[in-house]
Amino acid sequence: MNNLTRMTRIEIVVPARDAPAIRELISSAGATGYTSVSGVSGIGHHGQHSGSLLFNEYDTLTMLITVLPEGKAGELIDAVRELLNSSSGVMFVADTYVSRPEYFQ
Amino acid sequence: MSLVLRAQVAAAAQDIVPAWPLDSFIAVNPLAGGEGRAFGSSRDPHVLVARSSADFTTDFHRGRIPIEALQRTLVTRFPVLGHTMRVGGTSLHASSIAALDMIEHPVVAPASAPAEDTALDNCLSTWIAAYLNPDGLWVMPHRENGFYAAWRRLAVVDPATPRAVRRRITGAPEGVDAALEKAVSGVATGELRDYLRAQLAPLPGWVAHIKWRAEKVGDIDLTNYLAVRLTLAGALGVVPASLEPAPVAPVDTTWERAARIAGLLTEHDAAPADVAAVARVLAEHPSTEHPLTWQAAYEDAYRADMLSGLCSSTEPTERPGVQVVLCIDPRSEGLRRHLERFRGVETLGFAGFFGVPIRFSRYAAQGAINALPALLTPRHRVTEHPLDDAVAKSSVASARLRGALGHALHVADSTSTSPFAFAETAGWFSGAITALRTLVPSVYARLERAFSPDPDDLPTRMLMSESFTLDERAAMAATALRMMGLTRLAPLVVLTGHGSHSINNLYQSALDCGACGGNPGGANARAASALFNDPEVRTVLAGSGLAIPDDTVFVAAEHDTVRDTVTVLDRHDIPTSHLDRVLEFENFQAEAGQRLVAERARDLPGARTRRTVAHVRRRADDWAEVYPELGLAGNAAMIIGPRELTRDVDLGRRVFLHSYRTESDPDGSALETIMTAPLIVAQWINHQYYFSALNPSILGAGTKTIHNAVGTLGVLAGHRGDLRRGLPWQSVGFGRELIHEPMRLSVVIEAPLERIGRIVSGNQVLRNLLDNEWISLTARNQIHHTWHRYTSNGWTPATPATARQNKETLT
Repeated sequence: MNNLTRMTRIEIVVPARDAPAIRELISSAGATGYTSVSGVSGIGHHGQHSGSLLFNEYDTLTMLITVLPEGKAGELIDAVRELLNSSSGVMFVADTYVSRPEYFQ
Repeated sequence: MSLVLRAQVAAAAQDIVPAWPLDSFIAVNPLAGGEGRAFGSSRDPHVLVARSSADFTTDFHRGRIPIEALQRTLVTRFPVLGHTMRVGGTSLHASSIAALDMIEHPVVAPASAPAEDTALDNCLSTWIAAYLNPDGLWVMPHRENGFYAAWRRLAVVDPATPRAVRRRITGAPEGVDAALEKAVSGVATGELRDYLRAQLAPLPGWVAHIKWRAEKVGDIDLTNYLAVRLTLAGALGVVPASLEPAPVAPVDTTWERAARIAGLLTEHDAAPADVAAVARVLAEHPSTEHPLTWQAAYEDAYRADMLSGLCSSTEPTERPGVQVVLCIDPRSEGLRRHLERFRGVETLGFAGFFGVPIRFSRYAAQGAINALPALLTPRHRVTEHPLDDAVAKSSVASARLRGALGHALHVADSTSTSPFAFAETAGWFSGAITALRTLVPSVYARLERAFSPDPDDLPTRMLMSESFTLDERAAMAATALRMMGLTRLAPLVVLTGHGSHSINNLYQSALDCGACGGNPGGANARAASALFNDPEVRTVLAGSGLAIPDDTVFVAAEHDTVRDTVTVLDRHDIPTSHLDRVLEFENFQAEAGQRLVAERARDLPGARTRRTVAHVRRRADDWAEVYPELGLAGNAAMIIGPRELTRDVDLGRRVFLHSYRTESDPDGSALETIMTAPLIVAQWINHQYYFSALNPSILGAGTKTIHNAVGTLGVLAGHRGDLRRGLPWQSVGFGRELIHEPMRLSVVIEAPLERIGRIVSGNQVLRNLLDNEWISLTARNQIHHTWHRYTSNGWTPATPATARQNKETLT
């Protein structure tokens, strides 16, 4: 597709206090980077989350997005699933396409 | 190592609350990992969540817990006890029977003590301290390779370790991941998380600090810790820790208790039907619930008393001469009460960082402090600019000289060879200084101040425009005004931060401002004053309908909570037109401070003398004083509402006070900010005191008198072992008695109930705290309306306090 390379995109939404553990897993999985969005809002299994709070980043939700080659993604998916077994949070996994694959190897 | 194992480590550590280092002590709920579960359902069998039933029964008999509060609490906690029944021909409320059972049958909690540190724990503590100690004269070799790698390289040449153990460590994998994988290879996958949790249970202080450090510094993590622990355990031939079995369920005594209660109620041998009826009531309220019911009743009585004492007066219309904005800290409650006695003085409460989150460094200083709540990440660095470069240059030169001298003395005193020569040449001088410091500490303090000028003596200014755009500055100012409901401004507004100034006190940071990251609040008060006095900011505010009168001047000040003195800062920035008002305020604060010291001395151990005020203030300079002040001991409630609610009301320095006016907050965003930030900080502090008081040896730091500092990381009790968590005994008790009354935070808000409900529904942290009963919430829509209590089923009218006439029996 337009000389794009297929990769796996993983999005994880967790309480901000659990985000360091997820970031550590992402780094350990060999991902070259991630995007972090703090203060995300929505409604889920645990009820409503109003989003960004002016003076509290600790009790909000954080969304972490990372893209990595398919071969590295499986282990990260298993690890995040293991962590989410005992805490609140969701994970979305999808195929994605990137124009500069060397950035994600 | 598979990533899944790392995830298992993270999952096993999920309930562990990170512990901040000592120099930026942050009060936390040590059981915060369980806030998603009901209060009282701690996984640690050694943790007490309430005082003993016997203690509460004593409180009941001396009238501290009225019978009405006990019955009310029983019905609130167990609605099934709200019915009436007949026993022995008499009609009785089921809650009366349950209350009689609690009074007649105090639950005796089985003695429970955590396991002592093992040889493995002691050995491991030594290695962690060596690796992390930032003030060590000897930096651990190979530190750059991580904890496991450095330990593995050094342990094999450590002569203190038996040769056979060293040989086994030599065979351990080189990498941390491989080491941990090998150590847990014999554990079944389904049992792995519990196994890892058991390995994290010993040394909880070090483990909590490592968790903080992994997130904030990154030079160690729990994977490294576990790899060392389990490899060392294997080498020592120690069986790794296992999770303690669940406590054995107590023997059911319902029938015996029911027979006794029925006998008391009928005043003769009760009929089997009466015993059965009573037993059904008792079964609804099992004895395991008694301590939590007592605790809730104890808090209910306090809350009812407090609510009945609050005022219902309307907002004054007269413009005050001075408005003093104080931190929400309960210690400010005393100061505001004594200041409010003066005509023309109005006070307000706001989080002590005044809505200006900064990382602050003094002029030409090397370090910086995070002057903001721990809930935030610092993003804006602010520093000082001297008004006179020549004075600044000379000041920096003399500070450097003093620093070099101090460093030289420290090195001479601490290296392995020089102390003997140093003692020979300078020992007499040090001896004289030590004698002076011990015998006449105030003289020594005066000398020290003469030779070490205060950094505040150098006239400087903070340029907020360097760190914040105009929009950001105006937004911060507008937010603060809306959160406080500050629309009727006085000619002089004093933003008063607070700090605690004592010496030889490892826990000084715990006595500083919690909203300023465990630092004194003067820097934030100065930054906020600069913001509010900025003409550009005022122009933007006026455009938003928040005009600040031209004759209003904001002044920064700092309240020293040991001496109860308020020092006005940045005097050079005060316009001459307002100097008289400032002088008048200084006279007010001097008198208010003296009254407050005299009031505090009633509770402060050893403080009452013929010259109480001078005596208490001198204690700040005494390096042997373990009670410079009592900090936030006694904290029990938080009031969010207009200041008229509390005007002239003595709240005993037990209440966090945050100003708020519904009419200044049309969309409720200010209230949401208060409920999700200052309230959360207050709750952390409250639970830190609560659990440190109930569990001084495992969730508190024990007595200060045997503490040894590990750099600025924390303290050990003695010379080895675990890093101590929580507050020292001197913050919560005296002798064998508690000074702090452990009560969960009672939050009181005057704002529309619908608005409060909406905010709670939108924030999981508030839902967890309220629905799981970690805190309580009582509110009323507006003045003269009925107070309502928040429950998971909605709002219910709160009952006012009643006369306390407990009878010996309820029959």
